[in-house]
Amino acid sequence: MYGGGYIYDKSSPAEQHQDDPAKLAEFEAKIDRGEKIEPHDWMPRDYRKQLIRMIEQHAHSEIIGALPEGTWITRAPGFRRKLALMAKVQDEVGHGQLLYNAAETLGKPREEMINDLLSGKSKYSNVFNYPAKTWGDTAVIAWLIDAAAIVNQVTNSKGSYGPYCRALERICQEESFHLKYGHDTVVYLATGTPTQRAMVQEALTRWWPPIMHFFGPPDKVSVHTEKLMRWKVKLASNDDMRQQFLNMYVPKIWELGLTLPDPNLRKNDETGQWEYTEPDWDEFFRVINGEGPCNAERLAVRNAAEENGRWVRRALMKPVGQYTQPLC
Amino acid sequence: MPIISLDPRVTRLEIPEEQGLEPIQPNEYFETYEVFHQAKSGDKHIHVGSVHAPSAEMAFLFAKEQYGRRSKSYNIWIVRSSDITSIMSEDADIFATAPEKTYREAGGYKVREKINAFRKQHGSTQQSS
Amino acid sequence: MEALSSLHKEAIREFLYKMADDQLILGHRNSEWTGLGPLLEEDIAFSSMAQDKLGHALALYTILHEHLGEKDPDTIAFTRNERELRCCHLVEYPIGGYDFSLTRHFLFDTAEHLRFEMLAGSAFEPLAQVARKIKGEIKYHVLHAQTWMKQLGSATEESKARMQSALNETMPLALGIFEASPFEAELAEHNIFAGEHELRNRWLEVIAPTVADAGLVLPDIDALTPAYGGRQGYHTEYLQPLLTEMTEVFRIDPTVEW
Repeated sequence: MYGGGYIYDKSSPAEQHQDDPAKLAEFEAKIDRGEKIEPHDWMPRDYRKQLIRMIEQHAHSEIIGALPEGTWITRAPGFRRKLALMAKVQDEVGHGQLLYNAAETLGKPREEMINDLLSGKSKYSNVFNYPAKTWGDTAVIAWLIDAAAIVNQVTNSKGSYGPYCRALERICQEESFHLKYGHDTVVYLATGTPTQRAMVQEALTRWWPPIMHFFGPPDKVSVHTEKLMRWKVKLASNDDMRQQFLNMYVPKIWELGLTLPDPNLRKNDETGQWEYTEPDWDEFFRVINGEGPCNAERLAVRNAAEENGRWVRRALMKPVGQYTQPLC
Repeated sequence: MPIISLDPRVTRLEIPEEQGLEPIQPNEYFETYEVFHQAKSGDKHIHVGSVHAPSAEMAFLFAKEQYGRRSKSYNIWIVRSSDITSIMSEDADIFATAPEKTYREAGGYKVREKINAFRKQHGSTQQSS
Repeated sequence: MEALSSLHKEAIREFLYKMADDQLILGHRNSEWTGLGPLLEEDIAFSSMAQDKLGHALALYTILHEHLGEKDPDTIAFTRNERELRCCHLVEYPIGGYDFSLTRHFLFDTAEHLRFEMLAGSAFEPLAQVARKIKGEIKYHVLHAQTWMKQLGSATEESKARMQSALNETMPLALGIFEASPFEAELAEHNIFAGEHELRNRWLEVIAPTVADAGLVLPDIDALTPAYGGRQGYHTEYLQPLLTEMTEVFRIDPTVEW
């Protein structure tokens, strides 16, 4: 699932590092030629730093994202849904695994990444700080959050870092199953009994603001995007991706007779752009900084899972082990 | 009070509201192993990724599900990442081959013209239709 | 297939229900680990096996539906109450720690492996077909279980102690898998299944060396009281809450498609 468009970054321009200009020029020329960067290639320090941050956040989002969806794993109605939801949440964990490995090729061990997640130093996609209150929520998450993630991931898969692109290629294939599953579940609810329909409508209304937040703040307030674009770490602006998402999915939502809680949402036929009420960006930042409805629980559960698994891992740890990292 | 969650599984974990935060130790997620997947007999093994595991046996068990759960599989090889030898990219120029070494390539051998000239001069020994 | 006599039919029905209910409940329990396992890689593997179990349950309920006139698999799985289920107590217990879940997985899946090995030659062809089809899946489950038992049973003092105590706790429960049915003779006579007693003996032959290899001590079987009752509809305190939870959404309206 789930690489949100927003890369959480507290570093200031003063921390920016000066790289060897000749090597930098060579590096940028390589990217301009459309070639990929591999783990043992020279790369600017900021490139490495930003990529680790981005891939790590993406990985965290997968394993934290498994929690809101896992909320309904023991209650899925019927074999078909039960099996599909299990497979879907399993895939998210699998994506986390692939992404941590991709980030590790840049030199940060998985252990450190998990520690940074648990301490709050490293973030994950904000949407997972919201609760999945009913079965309708899982349906909406599986369809629309995954849809938003696909927009983001398909874009990122054209990026410059080889291992990340390869992980995303596999992830995007699996996401297409999630999207179909999510759409299928929403359609069954939306075309079902009044109770089923109400369930999915309520969930959709609840999830719309976090979905609008998903791609991150508007371009005019986003930080150091330009260099990341040049290095093909980021490939489309937050607003472009949001437009792409709205264009693809709002009609599909409306065709089910479902409504969205934004009276200003419409496509401007002259500009071809979607118009909408700006979501509450203050809330977005409040939630990122820990004040969302589920931040505390998500981290507590992740921490408990690590805690409960500790004896298993420590039993099998080698007494002296040199750190090894995935090759590519 | 342990955490009461919307997720009944989480409620059952009885997670205290105040937990200690014991950091994951270096190497606690073990070593990494590279995974080479063979889809069917006759195919090559292809590198598909890696897994963290405490032993090669476990790495196999993990790789089978992480890299084989959707695709057709015939075999999987597991190799400890640190057992693989490779070069740093700055040395990738050792692979540069001078273009004039055509004597190693099939395209470097072109005798058709000689044969045609020979046939024109001597006629063919075979009946041609 | 020849028409099934009513006694014959009743014997097969009871047999299929208990096997399917075991798979449903354990698959459900094991799915609770999804996203909460000790290592991402293991999380994925354990989830696959939980999915397999639900798949096996579905295959068995489908036989009940198609050959024995029972309701469709969703109705069977999602509308019965605890008295109507025939699963053994072992599968009902909460997931506990990974020591308990792994040991249960080892004891149950070894029995399952041997059971389906026996059933591959069953005279009841639909069941024999399922047994042959799922052979490979169960082989992986057993390999997975044995590998973990061996590694944790011989690692640190803590892991040895935990695995031994999990084994002590689960053994009487696991013996409940083999609770005899009133139809043992009927099933054996028609070459459908050689019997729980036979299965139990084979199971003991297989688990004993693995337990020893793992450096653990198998409790004295004769001194244990097997946890019987599940096959007659008498269950632990854990089953009904599990069912209530599992069917929470389905029960909103059992007559519609979800």
